[in-house]
Amino acid sequence: MAEIYLQSGWLIPLYPLLGILLTVPWMSLRRTGPRPAGYLNLLTTLVALVHTVLCLQAVWGEHPVRWTVDWMQVADLSISLPFELSTLNLAAVAVVTVLNFLVQIYAIGYLEMDWGWARLYCLLALFEAGMTALLLCDSLFFSYMMLEILTLGTYLIVGFWFNQPLVVTGARDAFLTKRVGDLILLMGVIALYPLAGTWNYAELATWASQNPIGGTTATLVGLALLAGPISKCAQFPLHLWLDSAMEGPLPTTILRNSVVIPVGAWVLIKLTPVFALSPVVDGVAVAIGTISAIGAALISIAQVDVKRVLSYLTTAFMGLVFIAVGTSQVGVAYFLLMSFSVAIAALIASTGSIILTCITQDLTQLGGLWSRRPVTALSFIFGTLGLVGLPPFGVFWAMRFLETSLWYEGQVLPFAIVLAINGLCAFSLVRMFCLIFLGKPQVMSSRAPEPIWTVVIPMVAMAALTLHIPVMLQTLKLLPIMQTAIGETGLLLIWSSGLGLGLGIVFYGIQREKLPADYMPQWCINLLSDDFYTTGLYQNLFIWPVATTAKGFNWIERYVIDGVVNLVGVLPLLSGETLKYVNPGRSQVYVFTIAICVVLLGLFMSWSYLPHLGQNLFSRGLFSR
Amino acid sequence: MMLTLLMGLPLLGALALLLFPPAKAKLVALWGAGIPLLWTLWLFSQFDISNSQFQWSEAGAWLPVLGLNYELGMDGLGLLMVALNTLLTWIAIYSARSEIERPRLFYSLMLITSSVISGSFIAQNFLLFFLFYEACLIPLYLLINIWGGEKRSYAATKFLIYTAISGALILISGFGLLWLGGAEDFSYAALADNSLSLKWQVLLLVPLAIGFGIKVPMVPLHTWLPDTYVAASTPVAILLGGVLAKLGTYGLLRFGLSLLPDGWAVVAPWIATWAAITIIYCAFLAIVQQDLKRMVAYSSVSHMGYVLLGSAAGNNLSLSGCIAQMMAHGLVLAILFHLVGVIEAKVGSRDLDQLNGLMNPVRGLPFVSAMLVLGAMASAGIPGLVNFAAEFAVFQGSYRVFPLQTLVGIVGTGLTAVYFVILLNRTCFGRLDSKRAYFPKVSFNEKAPALVLAVLIVVLGVQPNWLMRWSEPTEVKTVVIVPGEHNVSLRDIGGLLLGDSSL
Repeated sequence: MAEIYLQSGWLIPLYPLLGILLTVPWMSLRRTGPRPAGYLNLLTTLVALVHTVLCLQAVWGEHPVRWTVDWMQVADLSISLPFELSTLNLAAVAVVTVLNFLVQIYAIGYLEMDWGWARLYCLLALFEAGMTALLLCDSLFFSYMMLEILTLGTYLIVGFWFNQPLVVTGARDAFLTKRVGDLILLMGVIALYPLAGTWNYAELATWASQNPIGGTTATLVGLALLAGPISKCAQFPLHLWLDSAMEGPLPTTILRNSVVIPVGAWVLIKLTPVFALSPVVDGVAVAIGTISAIGAALISIAQVDVKRVLSYLTTAFMGLVFIAVGTSQVGVAYFLLMSFSVAIAALIASTGSIILTCITQDLTQLGGLWSRRPVTALSFIFGTLGLVGLPPFGVFWAMRFLETSLWYEGQVLPFAIVLAINGLCAFSLVRMFCLIFLGKPQVMSSRAPEPIWTVVIPMVAMAALTLHIPVMLQTLKLLPIMQTAIGETGLLLIWSSGLGLGLGIVFYGIQREKLPADYMPQWCINLLSDDFYTTGLYQNLFIWPVATTAKGFNWIERYVIDGVVNLVGVLPLLSGETLKYVNPGRSQVYVFTIAICVVLLGLFMSWSYLPHLGQNLFSRGLFSR
Repeated sequence: MMLTLLMGLPLLGALALLLFPPAKAKLVALWGAGIPLLWTLWLFSQFDISNSQFQWSEAGAWLPVLGLNYELGMDGLGLLMVALNTLLTWIAIYSARSEIERPRLFYSLMLITSSVISGSFIAQNFLLFFLFYEACLIPLYLLINIWGGEKRSYAATKFLIYTAISGALILISGFGLLWLGGAEDFSYAALADNSLSLKWQVLLLVPLAIGFGIKVPMVPLHTWLPDTYVAASTPVAILLGGVLAKLGTYGLLRFGLSLLPDGWAVVAPWIATWAAITIIYCAFLAIVQQDLKRMVAYSSVSHMGYVLLGSAAGNNLSLSGCIAQMMAHGLVLAILFHLVGVIEAKVGSRDLDQLNGLMNPVRGLPFVSAMLVLGAMASAGIPGLVNFAAEFAVFQGSYRVFPLQTLVGIVGTGLTAVYFVILLNRTCFGRLDSKRAYFPKVSFNEKAPALVLAVLIVVLGVQPNWLMRWSEPTEVKTVVIVPGEHNVSLRDIGGLLLGDSSL
């Protein structure tokens, strides 16, 4: 029986595709409401989930199952699709399908009155198909393909409410920023093949272990490959799209932050051996991770929009993954991803539940919801605990392993930075918690019941999953939990989390006259709340050059290239028009013209003799005295 | 006889149109285009894929004194091009508005164009090819000039003059091939047998490249194209952009790469650079366009650059990509032009500033918008759609030979995303102006061509082998070159032109 599940593992990405096909009738024929589209997709996702779990059971403790499917056979290039069903892959697929399932239930409640159900569920299914296919494929080429499809999906799903101007620009920014990364990744993919002769991750790892290339080549290829995950994981300087992508419906935000972005990081982790070929690339990965993590954590503290706070925290955590990959800590990176994705899902789901009934996402307009929204508050707390380095929750162990290995490798600076990031994230989350749930109720938050059960149940489920992540990971023996002692580095982590949490409560939990921001200089506040002025950077680095070049080329096109063409066209016409006045019909004019022409012709023909003429005259002495 | 039928059937259709009343014209024309399409499908089933020779060859003496004989034959490249032609002719006729003026003349001219284009793809004699190449100007000139939009006579004249110059240049090369190469007549086999020195090969390639470069077109020989496409009505634009532009790249492959391989190897780096410039330059121009159709037209020029890049690299992989890209370009351009035509017919504008919110499911044009997203994203090279496979093969193949130009080409796909996002954001997204939003319903007849093309774009994108396999023997036969083998600089080429015989 188990064999059958594994052999048909390729069906997992196809279930959501089937869901898309089933959705189509509700896009075009609107005789009935669009709700069946949602229910059908829920069903296909459930089927995919069950199949994944059965596969996971079947592959338990066994060797991974691999097989390949030919895709494209052109000339000397044959691209085949290598599937790999290992415990790790399937666990990741299980996370994706579970969260997808919960998000789809969540969307039933959250978008209850929306007319775009068919489109929404179609896109959710597209994401699920793309992500599961990416996770099951063991090939960089197909990862690239899936990432591109996800980029398109992001564009469409962020633009879901397309008649709002902010949504339109948000969708555009998300698409183009991700596309920049995609294309540089494509350059890397193309450049890698002639060097390695394969795109399979497993073969790439063996290839890389023999140190085949070095120096500039390795650095350039590595940097190109790094660019894809940088844009996918919203790392500096390509991080702003995640912020604009928040314009999309909230259920998709849950999905994006909890799984779509980690899937980008998955590709990053898979490429670790290739990055390790060049120390420069590793250095860049750590540097980008560090800058992103610290910068994003600081920015998130300065935001008043609840969604933005969480989106920057996502960037910060992905920064940690970059640090882990840059220091070749593959296991830790997987661990970080898995525990992060469930925790952030719980956090965003609970903020969504607040936005839904309070109709605002402005932190300054919220407060005092603790007594009114206990379930949401608890989910939020559990999500926070899952994301902050406190034992016994998931991220703590991941961070502890990261810290321990950093310490043993003597990487003191990254070690200190991870501690700082942990503290800053804890501070940011507590600040958000205090501003939403503590204090006095305000106008927008005074009447706030818990929302409909289709929102609450998935939210609670995500929170419960967050609590269980360490237990599950340990039972699955997926990740390197050798010992569960807290250790010295663990103590330091707890200190940093405690400091962040404590400061947060001191600053925001207790009612005071002045907010912490009032003690800070204005330039500092502006710098943080305006995302380090990254918009200006984009404007000057990308938008302005492209727009100016386009305008310049347009000028050349109209006035130089086409100008010459039109000139060539106009000249014969003009000369014809002008010359026709030379034919008035009077013979005198003709004779005059002929005479002038004869003189000119004569001059022309004797031109070379004219100087000689003078000489001859002189030599004959005609002008001599 | 099998190939003569391919040309004869549309001509018969054109004749049959005379026998029916104008009201029936479209139906008859659809049959006139549909039967050749079915015939092409039959040819696909009969095509021997392992055979790299020309198949179903036909030969008959015509004017042996001139070296002009009626010689036809088909290989994988010709088969794909003919398929594109017959398919897009059918689509173009289907997408024509039913209330068109003088329908019988219109449809018969369309059918004649299609027949002549098929002829040039299956001709086996240079002079015969040239006859067909020039002959398709006449119906197209009339089609643009009679049924075109604003500035149609300017556009038609520009088109005519440009293409006539291109023909003249190509003819020069052809005569050069015959006389200098010492061939008996103009048949491809005889011309291929030449023993031209490298110097002469390069010299003959220059007019050939410029001549076909006008047709493709390449910057700066391209300005006829946006004017012509914009002025032409939708069906004519589909034929022009989808099929006719391919004559340029087809000619370069058939005469440049196959007949003058050594010269091609010398010229290839220049062509690759030229292609990269075309890609980038036209992509930037597309960004600033306000007119939907003009934007698509510039995008078309930009994307022909990939075909050229693939042909310049001249290895098996890049040529597969190049031929596949010709097909993909035709399909995508056809769907985009068709949709722009529908939008223009329903909304009454092609101006990006006037259009908005067409994705609105109730009062907008949701189907057209969805298809527009598909077409635009296919053009931007999103995987799973046909362009990606083709472009990827081009890039992977040409990267080995011309890494820099290839990377520039990849930047070009990024710019494609930029202008198509502008297009989608302005037309499909945004708020629909409720005062203007009383659009006529989009009928099934207007949806059908887009659906057919969309299915092809997706299916061939998911399963690119179905596209790539046909041309493989052709490439094996064609590829004999290693670009950059003779490292020739600009000075050397100048020397060649001035008669330096050191090479």
